Amino acid sequence: MTFFPTEIMCVWMCLSVFLLWMRSGGCTEKANTSDLMEYTAADFYEKLHSGKMMFIYFEHQVSPTVSLFLVELEKSVEALQDYGLDMSRSSVPVSSLKIYLTLCLKLSSLSSPSTSSAILREEVKYVHTDADLLAMEKAARGKKDLVLGYVRSLGTQEHRSMMETAYVYGSKYQFILITGGPVLKHLGVDELSHSSQVWFLHCRLHSSYRSPMTSERCPLTRMRKPLSTLSLHSFLQLMEAPLSEVYEDPSSVQPPVFPYQQTPQVFLFARPATEHLDRETAVTLAWRLRGLALLVLVHRYMLDDFTQEVTSCFHAEAFLLILLEYVKYLTLHDFNEVLDLFTNEEEGEEDEDEAVEEDSHVGELDDEVAASLYENRGDLLDMDSITQLTSENFHAAVAQSSLTVVLFYLRWDAVAMAFLSSYIEVAERLEGSEVQMCAVDCGEWTDLCAAQTGGSPPIPFRPITPELTVENLPSFLSLGKALLLLFVGEEEDEIGWRQNQALLEEMRGVVELGGGKMERYLACWIHLGRTPAGMSVLGSYLGSMPPLPALVLTHLPSGDEIYQYPSNTPIGAPAVLQWLQRVEDGKESPAGMLGDDSWPPAHDFYDFLKVMDMQEPESAQQRTPSAHDHYEDVDEATVEGNDVEEGTGSSSSSRLSAPDNNANLHSEL
Amino acid sequence: MRCKSKRSFTVMDPSLPCYILSFVLIGCVQSSLGDPQQHNETRHHEYCVLGAGPAGLQMGFFLNKAKRDYIILERNSGPGSFFNKYPRHRKLISINKIHTGRQNREFNLRHDWNSLLSDKPDLLFKRVSGEFYPPADSFPAYLSVFSKELGLKVRYGVDVGRIRAVLLASGRRYILTDQHAADYTCSVLLVATGLWVPQEVEFVGSDLVEGYESISTDPEDYRNQAVLILGKGNAAFETAQSILGSASRVHMLSSSPVRLAWQTHYVGDLRAVNNELLDTYQLKSLDGLLEARLEKVVIAPRKEQSSRRRRSGVEKREKKGKLFLTLNKYLQNRGEKNDSGVAGEELPGFHYDNFSMRKPYDRVIRCLGFRFNFSVFDGSACPPNSENAKGRLPGVTAWYEGTNTPGLFVLGTAAHSRDYRASAGGFVHGFRYTVRAVHRVLERRRHGAKWPSTRLSTSQLQSWILKRVGEASGTYQMFEVLGDVILLRGSHCEYLEEFPLQALPRLSSLSGHGVSDHGLIVLLMQYGKTKIDFLGRSRAETDWTKAWKSNFLHPVLYYYDTPPTDMKLRPHGWPLPRPKAIHHMVEDFLTEWDGPVSHIQPLRRFLEHAVQTDLRSFYAESCFRFSLTHRKPPLFCQHGYLKQQGVAHDRQPWQNVDVAGLTPAETDSDASGADPALPNYLSGAGASVSSGLKLDL
Repeated sequence: MTFFPTEIMCVWMCLSVFLLWMRSGGCTEKANTSDLMEYTAADFYEKLHSGKMMFIYFEHQVSPTVSLFLVELEKSVEALQDYGLDMSRSSVPVSSLKIYLTLCLKLSSLSSPSTSSAILREEVKYVHTDADLLAMEKAARGKKDLVLGYVRSLGTQEHRSMMETAYVYGSKYQFILITGGPVLKHLGVDELSHSSQVWFLHCRLHSSYRSPMTSERCPLTRMRKPLSTLSLHSFLQLMEAPLSEVYEDPSSVQPPVFPYQQTPQVFLFARPATEHLDRETAVTLAWRLRGLALLVLVHRYMLDDFTQEVTSCFHAEAFLLILLEYVKYLTLHDFNEVLDLFTNEEEGEEDEDEAVEEDSHVGELDDEVAASLYENRGDLLDMDSITQLTSENFHAAVAQSSLTVVLFYLRWDAVAMAFLSSYIEVAERLEGSEVQMCAVDCGEWTDLCAAQTGGSPPIPFRPITPELTVENLPSFLSLGKALLLLFVGEEEDEIGWRQNQALLEEMRGVVELGGGKMERYLACWIHLGRTPAGMSVLGSYLGSMPPLPALVLTHLPSGDEIYQYPSNTPIGAPAVLQWLQRVEDGKESPAGMLGDDSWPPAHDFYDFLKVMDMQEPESAQQRTPSAHDHYEDVDEATVEGNDVEEGTGSSSSSRLSAPDNNANLHSEL
Repeated sequence: MRCKSKRSFTVMDPSLPCYILSFVLIGCVQSSLGDPQQHNETRHHEYCVLGAGPAGLQMGFFLNKAKRDYIILERNSGPGSFFNKYPRHRKLISINKIHTGRQNREFNLRHDWNSLLSDKPDLLFKRVSGEFYPPADSFPAYLSVFSKELGLKVRYGVDVGRIRAVLLASGRRYILTDQHAADYTCSVLLVATGLWVPQEVEFVGSDLVEGYESISTDPEDYRNQAVLILGKGNAAFETAQSILGSASRVHMLSSSPVRLAWQTHYVGDLRAVNNELLDTYQLKSLDGLLEARLEKVVIAPRKEQSSRRRRSGVEKREKKGKLFLTLNKYLQNRGEKNDSGVAGEELPGFHYDNFSMRKPYDRVIRCLGFRFNFSVFDGSACPPNSENAKGRLPGVTAWYEGTNTPGLFVLGTAAHSRDYRASAGGFVHGFRYTVRAVHRVLERRRHGAKWPSTRLSTSQLQSWILKRVGEASGTYQMFEVLGDVILLRGSHCEYLEEFPLQALPRLSSLSGHGVSDHGLIVLLMQYGKTKIDFLGRSRAETDWTKAWKSNFLHPVLYYYDTPPTDMKLRPHGWPLPRPKAIHHMVEDFLTEWDGPVSHIQPLRRFLEHAVQTDLRSFYAESCFRFSLTHRKPPLFCQHGYLKQQGVAHDRQPWQNVDVAGLTPAETDSDASGADPALPNYLSGAGASVSSGLKLDL
């Protein structure tokens, strides 16, 4: 598992790990050393050039978690050496390293002590050539689907998103990273485009299911949205059975749930007579639409009268499509028609994204709200769906409707504008309803805005062991209790789902069993699939990503310590309570700490004074007490000469006036 | 209003102010001795406002609104009587821009130079005139409407001829005596008499000169005449412009070269609306500009030369009654003043045959502006002459109180010595704000009311500053004179608008607001100080990192940890002393300082530096993370997200945002070269690189 080295990496622990690989012969040569070696800078560079394969970690300061890992790591030195890996420790400053080194070993074939296997879990593989990819596809055929990522550069947001997703989905899909070159060509991407991309390679399903696919390659689906954790997450979800069949009225079909809210649903209506054929068509279409839309096949004989009526208005033989979001009825003649509907829209978005990528300014904004608005600055907000209120029309407009919602906003306020765009989306959906959606530009109608105050926020329902989400966290934090927080991963299958349910059952058990003792704790959980932000929380707590599920105790009133329930101990109510007791008794050592409460500026300000002092050393200096009288009188400039004439600007014409070279003071004679 | 030009290029006799002063002192003694109990009718008001011009009525509005005991005394029968006569050519040059494309009333005041401040949104000058340069008569008309609609207490026909101060047990009182010997006593005297005494300069022949106040405004009267105008201000150019079509030549003479308002950014300098003579001068159409110290010139007719016979009769007739210009130093044997003419040898042209002013003039007109009428003040109540403006104005403190005359404040044009030739304090669009500042000082001093302020959460500060920078008119018009003061208090701050900058050392006593250890920020507008080619290629700066070199009006923020004390030692050309940190917001062509990259982010980083807190905004998801990984999330999340007011962002979370500072507390010390774009647990450049790289198949 590729995260492993990074698990022990946390900035505040100041430790970095490198996996190093030297190409020439290192892969086959067996190491002579039998113990962990320590390198000085000189040793290190020598080794680096010796062509040997090494596993080196750089240490600086060591946290409890990391030190544990190091103990384990040292145990596995021998095993690693069997595979031609030298393990060494170096105190070379990481910043002095400029070479990116790669590890070349069939790590998958390693069977090693527990630590090593943890390192080597194959969550992200690295592929250079198309042949390598083909080999992987063959190996994965019928077993696993592949998720192939191309990131512009390592260490970026996109890279991070891939890694985080691999962490959650790693056992379900094989994640692959490519660096470009021939593989990109195979995928039909121009390397020069420089934009990160993700493809889903459908290798698991039986090939006969994919009718148009004839080659030995697994069929590909390209992710069209820009790469981010959330988009990747929903993309992968969409790769799951893109077709579902219903025997009910479309209106009773549940709207898409997280993370598909934004995904259109396509309903295909089948006729009993051609049911078999229709399904085949639906399967094919579903494949073509995967990643873009959810396809639902509706069996017509189950439709109610109303829908029958609607559908009969169209040619009864043909399919009808209804796209939720904006409902559209289409008679299906050709797949491409349907595809165009989505792809055109997508392409448009893509163009914009690319344009944004080229803009050097985007990276300059360090405020995420401002930055996301700035990215979309090319779009004009379509305000047609909302009523713009002014001092003149305010009362009349509000009186017009039984329910009026008014948003007050300031154009220069990024937060307000971010909210405005969501507001417009809501307004578009509510168009034609009773609700009148209005907005007031407070930059213009200052008097209207002066009188307004905000409402009170809603209070959510509080279950005993709530699932913490982005939306509800504030209300739970306001309880001021310590958090007994369980992190669970995305369920891979039915079994995984049941496991998670059982865990939650145990959590409830902790609360019930603990009774009054549990009053000071809020037992809660985060589902990393639904709340991907939880991943970095967990990473930040422990300085590493532990195996899931992970149970931690944090936000203790007594201090900033974070405790981790031992990951090798099954989570059971009595054991958890005992562990809590040990924590209370001070018998547990913390696994991490909460961050500092002070939030100093993230960036330096631009020190104009410094610049002035550098470029015009005197200009920004205070005057000395004796010299300041002069200033007031400068504007009293008058002719210094005796006489009168039209200015010549030349001191040589001194016959009437005294020469004076001071341009400000001299007479324009 | 502009036409009350206060600028003049003469230097008055330095002994003159002293002379007036001593005269007044004598008067004072006499009056206290002669008629101690003569006031047969005494009225007391807490506030007396002297003059029902724009400044007096503006103060009237504030006093009226605060329900203070006040009276406005006006010697004429209606308000703004100055404008019944001036400007002589009846065109106001203060712009009346009605169409701005904006609805924001505060913003629109930036471009409305005639209206007074009130709480009635429609009580604006545009009600009386739609013209960009309105006729002068519309101004008294506007003042009349203003006064009536607000129900201001004005007493017309009260001609105060004498003002003195007495010290009673209850404090200092000002006693104003009118033409009927009726007395008005008041605790606070607000002098809003404007400037209306014509400024004159004494020189040989100054009695032959006509004054702007009395010249004919009929161009026909100047037909084919050579005219010399003394002065180069707007009144002088306005006069020149009116006779360009009828006079044979127009010369303009003063000590300094002409100063163009569009170059100096000072509206009292020559406005383009009046500058037609510059064209005819530069295109060599017989008009021209000249410089000389007026004290040294001599205006005189030619001396009769009966003994000579060479001159032809025609030539003689032409020269008769004409006025020649010469200089003191060429005059010969001038013991006695009654000499009625100059001889040929006394003319510069005799010595230099190409002397520019060798031809005589039919008329010489004095257009040297106006001076404050000091003559009504007894010594006990007389403000000193200003150190600048050739002593034509009363000297006042930074809060417009006469130096040495506590309780006597000077408002309006007469208070221009504070920002003479620097800002707009001599003009309606500027002094309407300084009058408000004086009122606030008085509310504090006499009624215990603190300077009005807005309490803001520190997370709101940036937005509030952007609002002010985008719309505020007071700091925009009174640039470098009035500024917003932000008192930092940790998680919140107090925002005070339009405080007189030079009074900052006395901020606490004048405003009633203390300064905490967190210090303060002052926001003001500034022009660049470098002289440049104002229409040349490099006149504007667009790079925000060079914002301090902005030439046009732009916002500047000064951060002090303690209030500045010595204003005199401030860096040359600076409105404030050197601060702890300064931030210039780069000038903007549209004067809209709302660019996320060029304006907002640099501002935010400056504010962050001043308050030592991360002020960025975050989406709910980020706040979620910070709330779980820290006991307290950043300020924005505390004030928004944790109060159930998070901002959802479901489109592209975390895209393109440098999360470097998202965990600033943890990135202290030596971060071992960690890649700032990664969260901690992924951090460490090498690690994050190699971690993904696994194997070759």
